[in-house]
Amino acid sequence: MKDIDCTGKTSRAINQEIRHHIQAGETELRVQHPQARHNLGVAILQPVSLTMSGSVGYYCGGLIDGPRIEVQGSCGWGLAESMLNGVVIVNQNAGNSVAASIRGGTVVVRGSASSRAGIAMKGGTLIVQGNSGYMTGFMMQKGAIIVCGDTAEALGDSMYEGRIFVGGRIADLGNDAVMAEVTDQDQEFLATTLAQYDIAAPASFQKVVSGRRLWQFDKKDFDTWREAL
Amino acid sequence: MCGIVGFLDKSGNRQAAVGQTLLDMLSALDRRGPDSSGVAVYADRGADACVLRVKLGERGPFETLADEVVAQVKRLVSVSAVHIQGPSLRLVVTPPEKPESLERAIEAVGNSVEVVSLGNRLELVKQVGSPANLETTYAVSSYVGTHGIGHTRMSTESRVDLSHSQPFWAHGRADVAVVHNGHITNYHKLRRIYEQQGHRFYTGNDSEIIGLYLADRMTQGASFADALQTSLTDFDGAFSYLAASADSLGYVKDPFALKPLVVTDTPAYVAIATEEQALRSALGDDFPVWEPGVNTVMTWTVERRDREWR
Repeated sequence: MKDIDCTGKTSRAINQEIRHHIQAGETELRVQHPQARHNLGVAILQPVSLTMSGSVGYYCGGLIDGPRIEVQGSCGWGLAESMLNGVVIVNQNAGNSVAASIRGGTVVVRGSASSRAGIAMKGGTLIVQGNSGYMTGFMMQKGAIIVCGDTAEALGDSMYEGRIFVGGRIADLGNDAVMAEVTDQDQEFLATTLAQYDIAAPASFQKVVSGRRLWQFDKKDFDTWREAL
Repeated sequence: MCGIVGFLDKSGNRQAAVGQTLLDMLSALDRRGPDSSGVAVYADRGADACVLRVKLGERGPFETLADEVVAQVKRLVSVSAVHIQGPSLRLVVTPPEKPESLERAIEAVGNSVEVVSLGNRLELVKQVGSPANLETTYAVSSYVGTHGIGHTRMSTESRVDLSHSQPFWAHGRADVAVVHNGHITNYHKLRRIYEQQGHRFYTGNDSEIIGLYLADRMTQGASFADALQTSLTDFDGAFSYLAASADSLGYVKDPFALKPLVVTDTPAYVAIATEEQALRSALGDDFPVWEPGVNTVMTWTVERRDREWR
């Protein structure tokens, strides 16, 4: 375990230090006193383990491929943005747009997520153990979002594809998001995925998918389009 | 892009280090806006004293102008202290019967003269430049009290000078002040309505309308919390703002969730900031933070949390 102390350092210097240690062969790193700095642990392409001993700011773990990052506090906007693969876990609450545009891997929020969680997801899995905010799954294209608690307004707004599972109450559905039946395959996916991160599954899940009415423009849908744009 | 911060002590300490805390939070956010900065700190001064802050102009010398303003103020209220700090004249006066008449009288002294703030508990200072400069001019770190708000500005659409800096005092309403991050997109429409009613606008800054709106609503009988709540439907745009009154602090988070804001509410204090790093660098790591949901307002008073709106 290699320790990196952030005190008095810029995000750039800290990231260079992380890279330097990875190149030297370290596989376990701990970043101490991150104090919610932005852009920590970005663009790491090796399967290392990185612990943030505190809160991180915006875009932590962005553009990564392979590492496992654990944030012991909370995180700001865009956690794990555009991740290709890897696991990013945040132990407290997450800011806006957690797991934005991820293509693979898993993001776990042990607290609650703010607005636009899983925006434009292109694959991978987002798990929110608590509640999730406004426009969760906005424009998602692939992958799965699992929210164990409640979701706020406009869930799955303008989603193209993908699956959203909600264990609690859905405030309302966004444009062209529709309820679907939870299949046996879904149940198995939920059970294995949650068990992997020691998360107790809620009694039951509701499933939300795309209604696919926004895929092509139809004059009959003009009102929906006007609302969506 | 601006940085806004707020702090309220819940421990009953009437002399908490509010100035130092706000300054620490602002310093962590200063790259969000280096154009200007300011704070509003609320402290006990006794019922018979009001702090009156007057901007003399953008450039000195101000001595003659200051003498004229003081002479004018003395015609309406008694003055117990006079200080010039940079372009700002600070007077301690007895509470005026009609704050608006006092304002008009002072502003009649010269074109560059503006009343920046008036309040029984409010101390409001701001200027062009970073939070570090604010400390050099006003020794903000020495301000104690119960609660306060602060701002560091990146201007996107109006001038950079003292008048356009924040916090904005709600003209005509003692002690109410606001700091804002975002845009009020129906500003011009609202401004025309207020101008027709005879309100004066001091700047071309859309944030100025918030204080005016709150003052107007409260003068009509709304509570501080109610005025914040109705602003959610009366304002359009992407905005996060904080407001404070003599004994309260509150946040308003817009219906689009496009402007960041994080909050922590501990048994000892409430702290709110644009970014979490402001809270961490000023107050440490031992508390959870969260982002308020869309369309939400929450207010606290110095004694207790008031109520939650959704």
